[in-house]
Amino acid sequence: MQDYISLFVKSIFVDNMVFAFFLGMCSYLAVSKNVKTAAGLGVAVIFVLGVTLPINYLLDKYILSAGALSWLNPEYASVDLSFLSFIVFIAVVASITQIVEMVVEKFSPGLYSSLGIFLPLIAVNCAILGGSLFMQKRGYETLGEATVYGLGSGFGWFLAIILIAAIREKLSYSNVPKPLKGLGISFIITGLMGIAFMSFMGIKL
Amino acid sequence: MNKDIYRKPLFKANPITVLVLGVCSSLAVTVQLKGAIVMALSVTLVTGFSSMIISMLRNTIPNRIRIIVQLVIVAMFVILIDQFLKAYAYDVSKQLSVYIGLIITNCIIMGRIEAFALGNKPVPSLVDGLANGFGYGMVLVLLAFIRELFGSGTLFGYQIIPQSWYVANGGFYENNGLMILPPMALILVGCIIWIQRSAQKDLQEQ
Amino acid sequence: MNTNSNTYTIIYSTILVVVVAGVLALVSSLLKPRQQDNIALEKMQTILRAANLGADANEQADKTAYIKDLYQQHITNSYILNYKGEVIDGEAFNVDLKAQANIIKKIDAAKDEASAEALKASLKLPVFVCTTDNQTLNIFPCYGAGLWGAIWGYISVEDDFATIHGAIFDHESETPGLGAEIAHEKFYGKFAGKRLEKDGAFKSIAIVKGGGQADNVNGVDAISGATITCKALETTIDSWFKEYLPYFNIKKEAVDAGNSPCGDGCCTDSTCTDGTCAGHDADSLNIESTNK
Repeated sequence: MQDYISLFVKSIFVDNMVFAFFLGMCSYLAVSKNVKTAAGLGVAVIFVLGVTLPINYLLDKYILSAGALSWLNPEYASVDLSFLSFIVFIAVVASITQIVEMVVEKFSPGLYSSLGIFLPLIAVNCAILGGSLFMQKRGYETLGEATVYGLGSGFGWFLAIILIAAIREKLSYSNVPKPLKGLGISFIITGLMGIAFMSFMGIKL
Repeated sequence: MNKDIYRKPLFKANPITVLVLGVCSSLAVTVQLKGAIVMALSVTLVTGFSSMIISMLRNTIPNRIRIIVQLVIVAMFVILIDQFLKAYAYDVSKQLSVYIGLIITNCIIMGRIEAFALGNKPVPSLVDGLANGFGYGMVLVLLAFIRELFGSGTLFGYQIIPQSWYVANGGFYENNGLMILPPMALILVGCIIWIQRSAQKDLQEQ
Repeated sequence: MNTNSNTYTIIYSTILVVVVAGVLALVSSLLKPRQQDNIALEKMQTILRAANLGADANEQADKTAYIKDLYQQHITNSYILNYKGEVIDGEAFNVDLKAQANIIKKIDAAKDEASAEALKASLKLPVFVCTTDNQTLNIFPCYGAGLWGAIWGYISVEDDFATIHGAIFDHESETPGLGAEIAHEKFYGKFAGKRLEKDGAFKSIAIVKGGGQADNVNGVDAISGATITCKALETTIDSWFKEYLPYFNIKKEAVDAGNSPCGDGCCTDSTCTDGTCAGHDADSLNIESTNK
């Protein structure tokens, strides 16, 4: 249990998707003009990461990685399908977002109207695919770890986009040099926030 | 062919500094020039060729599965590049690690396919893709040049700042450790945007 | 043609998947041997570098052939040990270090002796024997978790089973400029000449700040600003060598029992003349390394 908690906290603060790995920057910059929409996208990211990571974990463990097919038949132990992992992962991400979109539309129109428009955007959010690739690379060992990592990095992304959106709302009343307005200052502020987040690095969990 | 297709992406509509596309997967590879150049080349090739293929197929793709078809084509090219790097440039492939896979979700590629390739003939789409990839690569290489030179005192791994300048050897110089840390990449992009928008006033936001 | 009908969509996606999978499978199977070669080659080079060999490989015209040659020539033997230090069947080169590291981690965390013993039985510990002109080295791997990702390395030990001849470390994703410095010669070069022994008993290398003085044979200087990585490396080395300890003891006993006429375990057979060590004991090695 303690392992899970420390993995969760670590993936939010230390291995933050935005500040440590720059993942999901496109939508992070494009949809952070006000806190409300930012929160909507953030929740959608948490949800999709929390769902796709366990699925991709199972696919990787039982189909894709070297020798993974041996549960089917010991003769397949030499089969290595890992070259297909990018394509399988992205297909899972794209279809999950599509399915989630349809389910939400059918059963919760209220949620759909606030969340729905962001779901198609998420298929090409690098944070989602990045989560799966990091999971594969770091070799998380159990389904639980993969899920916790997915939820944790989703929360980290949510936190990052809420923070920048709040800052940008305030910033619109500030006197920023003209050429820096909008995009330029957002980059610089994200950089400064990244430096602040680096102070979490020394925490031993 | 319209010259704007390949002129615009370089400065006026540069994918990173103006359109804010493709920032995601790539800032992390700008610590060293070598990685940045390989990344820039890979993205250029993937953008160009997947634009061309999608443009060839544009009238046959069923609309409902459009996004997935595009992702599959892009992912195919990315896997090809990943496999070739692993076979012929193993050290670079190790350095880029998961970021090669993340080219798939690089917004430039999907952005150019949606905005250009779906409505144009294959050859202009190829040129458009290559030019956008190149415009993106330019910023990447510039960032990597600054970060490697000031962060590690090297370029392509070769020592540029003379050893005798360093404090450790009795000189006055010290590498700027901040440059190799992730946040500095963002701040540098901010500065590049600042410089570009000071020169091109029409890009400034109100 | 109606591109929106269900049949068309299904046929279209099937053809697409078959074509793409075909192309990828073809390319992957063509490039696979080369990719595996690269991985094996890198491992060979790391093992050689731990014995201070092959540092000039990158300047060779044909790096692949050079490393393979060097490996064939120097790494004369390799075997897998169990936790008692006995040789068991298997190819040491193919042992999955990560899997062993996981077992070691579980052993260290085991609550009682019995469960630790059970885990120990599944350990496979590789050893590579390297023969150079004047000595025989044993090369031991280690693998563990650093600050961000995995860290690993190889350490070569001279045949007194106490003096470190050389070491090399690498990492997956340590902080550039700080933790990542463990992969630079400036850091791992310091390990040469240090001893895994204090007052006749085993003692792992301590990586501490200010630990690198010439007279401290049990410690090396840590990298400033990379405390966690250095601490993690120290723990990794310690936990791996603990598992090799039975093998060390067997070998040391063999030396003490008179296989070597010197009997004090500090010199090799070849440097031993008339029952004394011909300038090849641990102290002289230390002086050499500090003079560098």
